[in-house]
Amino acid sequence: MRRTLISIALSVVVLAAAAGLIWALADQQAPPLIQINAQVLGPQAIGPLPPVVAPPGNPPSSAKIRLGKELYFDPRLSADGAISCATCHDPALGWSDEGPTSAGIRGQLGGRRSPPVSNAAYSPLQFWDGRSPSLEDQAKGPIQNPVEMGNTHEAMIQTVSGISAYQTEFKAVYGEGPITVDQVAEAIAAFERTVVTTDSRFDRYARGDHGSLTPLEKEGLEIFNGKGHCTACHWGPYFSDGRFHNLGVPPLDPEKPDLGRYDVTKNPRDRRAFKTPTIRDAARRPPYLHNGSEKTLESLIEFYDRGGGKDPNLDPLMVPLGLSKHEKAALVAFIKSLDSLNPEVANVKPIDPRDLPR
Amino acid sequence: MKKTLTILFTVSLALLVFGQTALAIPAFARKHAFNCNMCHVGFTKLNDFGQRFRDNGYQIPGQQGLEKTVFESAFPLAMRTTAGYSLYGTGGQSTGGFHIYNLDLLSGGVLHKNISYMFIYTPRIDEPAADFTGPGTGDNPAQLAAIESAAVVFSNIVRDKLNLRVGRFEPGFQLISSKRSYYILQPYEIYSFAGTRNSFDFSANQIGIEATGRFRPGLKYALGYINGTGANPDNNKFNDVYLALSKTFGKGEGQSAGQRIGVFGYLGWQPTALLVPIVSPVGDVNGVDNRGYYRFGGDISLNWRTFNLQGMAFRGVDNRDFNDFEPTLNYAFWGGVAELDWAGLPNNRLVASLMYNWVRPPDYNAVHKLDACSALVRYYLGSWSAVNVAIHAEFTHRQLGSVAPIKENLFTILLDFDF
Repeated sequence: MRRTLISIALSVVVLAAAAGLIWALADQQAPPLIQINAQVLGPQAIGPLPPVVAPPGNPPSSAKIRLGKELYFDPRLSADGAISCATCHDPALGWSDEGPTSAGIRGQLGGRRSPPVSNAAYSPLQFWDGRSPSLEDQAKGPIQNPVEMGNTHEAMIQTVSGISAYQTEFKAVYGEGPITVDQVAEAIAAFERTVVTTDSRFDRYARGDHGSLTPLEKEGLEIFNGKGHCTACHWGPYFSDGRFHNLGVPPLDPEKPDLGRYDVTKNPRDRRAFKTPTIRDAARRPPYLHNGSEKTLESLIEFYDRGGGKDPNLDPLMVPLGLSKHEKAALVAFIKSLDSLNPEVANVKPIDPRDLPR
Repeated sequence: MKKTLTILFTVSLALLVFGQTALAIPAFARKHAFNCNMCHVGFTKLNDFGQRFRDNGYQIPGQQGLEKTVFESAFPLAMRTTAGYSLYGTGGQSTGGFHIYNLDLLSGGVLHKNISYMFIYTPRIDEPAADFTGPGTGDNPAQLAAIESAAVVFSNIVRDKLNLRVGRFEPGFQLISSKRSYYILQPYEIYSFAGTRNSFDFSANQIGIEATGRFRPGLKYALGYINGTGANPDNNKFNDVYLALSKTFGKGEGQSAGQRIGVFGYLGWQPTALLVPIVSPVGDVNGVDNRGYYRFGGDISLNWRTFNLQGMAFRGVDNRDFNDFEPTLNYAFWGGVAELDWAGLPNNRLVASLMYNWVRPPDYNAVHKLDACSALVRYYLGSWSAVNVAIHAEFTHRQLGSVAPIKENLFTILLDFDF
């Protein structure tokens, strides 16, 4: 009898300790903000975004940000005066475009989906293949890309330098001297660093407002970080590891497959690998994947549920998931909870061409 | 009184024998901020991602060198324990009680890119309820103290194709892992079956060295050179060897996706006598008159949606010197297990399983013929990265012997606590 009582007491102690721990963990608050940088080792917990850190060489100012915004929306940076940054990175389309790939100068089609500018400040490398180490470097690329803006840096500088209002603004920001392509890129990058979505219903949930997600979205969060394996790549506050993975995405042109990161590194393991995009605001910018081959969130999740596509260099993280219809619906619901509520970002309006510097 | 003691003895022995260490390592989940289902269909059973993570030396597949080592993160410690109520019945009598079935202390992690370790210690549990022989003697602990695992893994010596595991570890010939079975009280019976004087246990962790690797498409191997005496020091100069090959069709590892088949063979030696006065400098008692034994068999794992049907069977042959029943004959037997698992509810919160074990000893030893049918249900209370708790109910009907068989029923409901 004595031993039975001791056994019961021991069991009760273990159960009580377990229940206490569960209670404590279930009630825990959002994790502290995490610094994001290119060298971060991960995975890290998903959570609210920390403040953007500008590089020391390009400190922001309101005048520089204003200048950068004007340049961002100014089609005169392109060779024919028709394509601006915002043409392919439209605030109204989740800072991307309608896709599946982007149309540049003279209607030429690029081979890749337009990556979103929103929160790009947190990405350690830019472009789908990561060939650019900073927003400043990235901003120079499309201007002279023959399929995008089709210009040259020299011609673009000549155009901008010929606009008196720009001369005044550049002088105010950078002082005396000729306008340079680096100044243009820095101003655009400074503006892009303001395009940050720090407030979504998920962020509010992570900060402790447990009512901000519906039960279905909470299930989706659980699956996102578990059975769905999403956080194996889409981790951290940026919901991206900033690394490169081959998902087996079918090429648009099988005769000329896009080799992705391999074109930068020449490492065979990078063949057809592309940078992990952020999930934030993803619901606002279909279609998906680097070539826009998945039209909806639902079809995108089906693609992952199958373990991606076929490729001899398929990333080892890609495995079939065995998700049920309900689990897929929960994942879609959760991803939509990452849509930004930031009015200061959502309300960024294109600058009317008539209001651009003259 | 005598009958009561007999039943108590039997149930305690059953718990000691059936109770098995199984692994789930929330320290990894905490480090990566994942919840358990990233690596487990439902802990403790690994999914395909988890299997690749384990195969890759506890590193995220393809991300070697891009994650924190144990020196850059909180020290990875984990604990698992199971406690609850069991009811045992045989011969028209039954008894029941509360028990702590096991307690595992685990630590594992990455020391440096492609160098990792796994350490598991099981402390002795002098649970009073199991100590039926009298108050406080401690003669019958619910669990023996042991270093169950202490291994260093050198991964990707040749990328994907060659990894080395050194120390005490779970050998790779167990293509269906007894350590990560959902079943807590019902083991894979054939694993621990052997001739009467052969102490080899197929499910025991082993000391030695093992090479593993994978080749495209889906071909994996494990080649080991080990003591073959499980947790005991070796007692002969002959080491055991094994080879396991598996092939997975389709994406995945055959754990929760893809279809896998495998074959394995094990060749070992054990002494039939010990020369007690002759002790090696490292303290092992030397044995003589070593005799051989071998095991060979295959496994299969089939997946459809969230169903997994896995089966394994092998034949064992022990030298006649291990055979107390028919000393002129090698002791040959075979057996296996078939298990159907299902996972349901969002994030696999609910797991159910049916399992059939069979052991077929030689005809002259029909008293050890065994059939066991088991079923379980597990419900996970949450999906946290720091802790997981499952309510676990398990039932086994076991029949031992073909003539006047001993029939046993064992039911348990317990809390499986892992943090």
